[in-house]
Amino acid sequence: MRVKLCALLAIATTVGLAAPPATAQGPVILKVAIVQQIDSMNPFLAVFQSSTEVGRLMYDYLTAYAADDQTVTEGIANRWEPSADKLTWTFTVPEGKKWSDGQPITARDVAFTYNLMLTDEVARTANGSFVTNFESVTATDDRTVVIKTKAPQVTMLALDIPIVPKHVWEKVTSIKDYANDQMPVVGSGPFVLTEHVAGQFIKLKANKNYWRGAAKYDELHFVYFQNSDAAVQALGKGEVDLINRMAPAQFDSLAGKDGVTRNKAQGRRFTELLINPGAQTRTGEPIGDGSPALKDVRVRRAIAQAVDLDALVQRVNLGYAEKGAGLVPPVFTKWHWQPSASELRKFDPAAANAALDAAGFPRKADGTRFGLRLVGRAGRAYDEQASEYLKRSMSDIGIPLDVRLVSDNQLNEVTTAATYDLAFSGWATNVDPDFILGLHTCGQRPGADGKGGTTDAYFCDQTYDRLYAQQLSEFDEGKRVEIVKQMQARFYDQVPAVVLAYDNALEGYRSDHFARFTTQPAQGGVIMAQNGMWGYYGAEPAQRAAQATGSRWPVIAIGGAALVVLVLAGVVLARRRQATAGERE
Amino acid sequence: MRLAGRLGGAAVSLVMVAVLGFFLFRVVPGDPVVSMTRGRPTTAAMQAELRAQFGLDRPLHEQFWSYFTSLLRGDLGTSFTFRRPVAEVIAERLGPTLLLVGTATVIAVGLGLWLGVRAAWRRDSAFDRATTGVSLTLWAVPTFWLGMLLMMVTGDLFPSRGMRDTDTAPDFVSQALDVGHHLVLPSITLVAVVCAEYVLVMRSSLLEEMHAPYLVTARAKGLRDDLVRRRHAVPNAVLPAITLVFLRFGLVVAGAITTETVFSWPGLGLLFYDALTGPDYFLLQGLLVVTAGAVVVMNLLADLLHGVLDPRVKVV
Amino acid sequence: MNRLTGFSRAGMAGAAILVVAALVALIAPLLISADALDVTRVTAAPWQTPGAQHWLGTDHTGRSVALLVVQGAGTSLFVGLTAAVLSVGIGTLVGIVSGHFGGLVAGALLRVTDFFLVLPALVLAIALSTVLPRGLGTIVLAIGLTSWPSTARMVRAQTLTIEARPFVERARALGGGHGHVIGRHVLPSVVPLVLVNTTLAVASSIVAESTLAFLGLGDPTRISWGAMLHQAQLHGAVPQRAWWFLLPPGLAIVVVVLAFTLVGRALEAVVTPKR
Repeated sequence: MRVKLCALLAIATTVGLAAPPATAQGPVILKVAIVQQIDSMNPFLAVFQSSTEVGRLMYDYLTAYAADDQTVTEGIANRWEPSADKLTWTFTVPEGKKWSDGQPITARDVAFTYNLMLTDEVARTANGSFVTNFESVTATDDRTVVIKTKAPQVTMLALDIPIVPKHVWEKVTSIKDYANDQMPVVGSGPFVLTEHVAGQFIKLKANKNYWRGAAKYDELHFVYFQNSDAAVQALGKGEVDLINRMAPAQFDSLAGKDGVTRNKAQGRRFTELLINPGAQTRTGEPIGDGSPALKDVRVRRAIAQAVDLDALVQRVNLGYAEKGAGLVPPVFTKWHWQPSASELRKFDPAAANAALDAAGFPRKADGTRFGLRLVGRAGRAYDEQASEYLKRSMSDIGIPLDVRLVSDNQLNEVTTAATYDLAFSGWATNVDPDFILGLHTCGQRPGADGKGGTTDAYFCDQTYDRLYAQQLSEFDEGKRVEIVKQMQARFYDQVPAVVLAYDNALEGYRSDHFARFTTQPAQGGVIMAQNGMWGYYGAEPAQRAAQATGSRWPVIAIGGAALVVLVLAGVVLARRRQATAGERE
Repeated sequence: MRLAGRLGGAAVSLVMVAVLGFFLFRVVPGDPVVSMTRGRPTTAAMQAELRAQFGLDRPLHEQFWSYFTSLLRGDLGTSFTFRRPVAEVIAERLGPTLLLVGTATVIAVGLGLWLGVRAAWRRDSAFDRATTGVSLTLWAVPTFWLGMLLMMVTGDLFPSRGMRDTDTAPDFVSQALDVGHHLVLPSITLVAVVCAEYVLVMRSSLLEEMHAPYLVTARAKGLRDDLVRRRHAVPNAVLPAITLVFLRFGLVVAGAITTETVFSWPGLGLLFYDALTGPDYFLLQGLLVVTAGAVVVMNLLADLLHGVLDPRVKVV
Repeated sequence: MNRLTGFSRAGMAGAAILVVAALVALIAPLLISADALDVTRVTAAPWQTPGAQHWLGTDHTGRSVALLVVQGAGTSLFVGLTAAVLSVGIGTLVGIVSGHFGGLVAGALLRVTDFFLVLPALVLAIALSTVLPRGLGTIVLAIGLTSWPSTARMVRAQTLTIEARPFVERARALGGGHGHVIGRHVLPSVVPLVLVNTTLAVASSIVAESTLAFLGLGDPTRISWGAMLHQAQLHGAVPQRAWWFLLPPGLAIVVVVLAFTLVGRALEAVVTPKR
């Protein structure tokens, strides 16, 4: 008897609680799922991509990238002028822009931010690379800021540094210990941070003072998810309005779902296969234990030729990627490079076999030439699947692969110490290709002690380095584009890494809640992870068919009444049962 | 004397936990700074600066000494991931875990003990067989799998993640209901798995007790069965079960890792899982020290409680 | 008596299941062609619902779920067994040594045992599998090294009981050395207990393996039931309602673990004579 009663009670409470939570007529909220943790709200310290993304909403940069074509456009400053020798840049901060607390935004805020980074080592934690070449920064008046650099720098309009309000930050005594959680956090961006519960959510409100005009909805919430699977589910249920970084299969699972619109966008990321070219330190000492066979460029070319890029894109990316070539993804049309017919290495195992024979690595009696290790990241779906394909491709040219899938940090350790033959890697690129190109210069290799390197593939090539230095001081963009393309061709030819694919960014949103988002670029662009905040800022709420969701009180009342009845019944039954217990047992 | 011994033992265990925590996570290969800054413009100087900020550039023994001395002051270091004191981060996540684990434990203990008593009392009845069978099966079920199944079966009835929605009205009733709504699936998952063990322990404990001579005497005196059970057998048999509850509480916290991972419940388990991907040394250390420390303390309590409840065991 | 046969019946059922599982694990690799499980060679469409061609449907790459479950039996059973043997082995050694020798050694061992008994085993196992390189060996070590203390305690208690018996005292008085006492008296009396413990430890080791694999800490190049569930989660089986990908590996774990538990309990009933 009691068992049944308990079951009933349990069901009653369950049903009561299972009623979908109703939101009363309230603010219009855009809820976004994020999977990565937020490391800090302090823009000088935050290094995670997710933190940078939220930071962009809170603080404008000196300049911005336009939504439709990613060209440089107005940020905090609306005009800029380099001197003839390109060593002095003058930026103008126009009148009328305000911080979210109503104070005017001036050139002094800009100078304060940059000077803080120049003087305080800790403040350079997140974005220090942008100011290493700075000589001095001065605000000559409220409207004008002058930056002097030690050497000409082409990336002066791509300074991804959040400008902070001087009147708030000059009171901060220790940048390292400042969490930037004095809500609401004063900022210049389209949204103002109002609440942050670590590991749960971040709440922002539209900035009514934003100089481009306030966003078309009231609040922006980032909800933390443990994995993208849960996020996809939540989107299906309408618990969140916008998600990104979906796996191809997850993206497919949302096809035809009511109220959900999918956005297949050209991403900023590429996936690559590193081929250890005989790693050396900056001083030329060999480092790591890469297979000596790979020092031969003919062998690396043969390996690249034996990889079926189309099959990888079709079977592993399920078609949601573009075949790889140069280091800059096609989303950055200007800088993107494709091999010409004569440069192109077509998939051809027979030619690869012949090339390996010619290079002096004939097949042994058992049909193999030499074995290689392939390192990838465990838990990353791409690596787990692509390694199977590579295993097969390589065995076709007589190279048995020993696949090792390891944790994230172990993978970093292996690639840093150059204890790999082949390894999966990948990068997100920026509007300006300087960073991704710079990764492959000789100087990025570690010092004699094996430390301090940021190289990606242990590439070191005089031709490439010379071109790199050239493009860095080439202020004629057409010429610079040419050099950048030459560099990519050189990289492709020397194959310290094979760019496997440019991943599509797979996003999805509730089109029944939000009618449209601003993508960047306008054609085939992304909503999240932009070089800007347009996706969030430009979201337009759908006309909601009379907020149908009523109050929750009726449900609670019914549930409560049911509970009371059940408890009463239970008491009565229990008493009766007690009375007869003696006889029954 | 005995009490002193117990306290001393617990203290030694705590020290060992602290030492293990440091060295276990320090042999993790990989430079956390490289992991942190991967995929964004970083210069070698910036990486060096980060290393210095976290004291990673100092020799290991120095790092250990400063870790150990600050630990004694209750300072667990600074988390890489959150850029905040570890103690603060852990304290923040303690609430959700206590809520989940507490709810699950209370339900599991109540249900488990009650079912166990009934099963034992009517041994070999259909009820007993069913209860034992279900318990054994549930014991064999991987927690995370049960969670995934529940999520798939219930579909849209329950939220798929977290502890509360961001757009719930701020008043207490709405918030509490919202949390309750989120709590249902994770706690059912945890209860199902933990409860099984309590049932089995309570059942076998009572079975042993039922053959004790004093019970036979009590029955022979003509006391009603129900009364014998409630007044004599159960109180004695509950003892090992209660001890188990205390022993298990710490382990349940660890077991909550998978539940919290599946349901994105923002507690210590999820924090632990997140910290592993860093790896966030100080956070991992702190979590190990706190969880293991909690279990040591719970064990001590179980011991003491055992002494209080059972007159045959004398503490002090 | 009725109770005994009742238990035995469950035990027999468990044993029968285990025999079948073991046969499947041993024979499967011989029957399944490598091509059927090679993602680069399968031709079937991914995410197919169960049908005549694929009894349990296909996974995210188009491999047959039924074949994967069968193939996974080997890994799961292997890890379960070796981890259990490792764990019980360590436990028995520590238990006998600390029970037999007493003194400082016993004190120290007891401390260590208590310490490990207290540590949340899963937390430690996760930590270990993160530290060590991925692979089956790591999983076995991680589980084995963290789950031995309860066996150690039990064996120690049994050793103490046996050594207090008059015949052991007599053997000692007659000049029997440590080796004699342990080999002739302690070990034989501990063996049944160890057997029961091993059986139960296999059950918990299989669950532990699946948990580690689910958290992404398993050997990604091998198919195990836990690894299948990891894949299911990674590729969105829950939002797609792909029950055929989620249910079979989980059920396989439950059935095999339950079988080991039943056998263990039946053995226990035989070994420790009840009132």
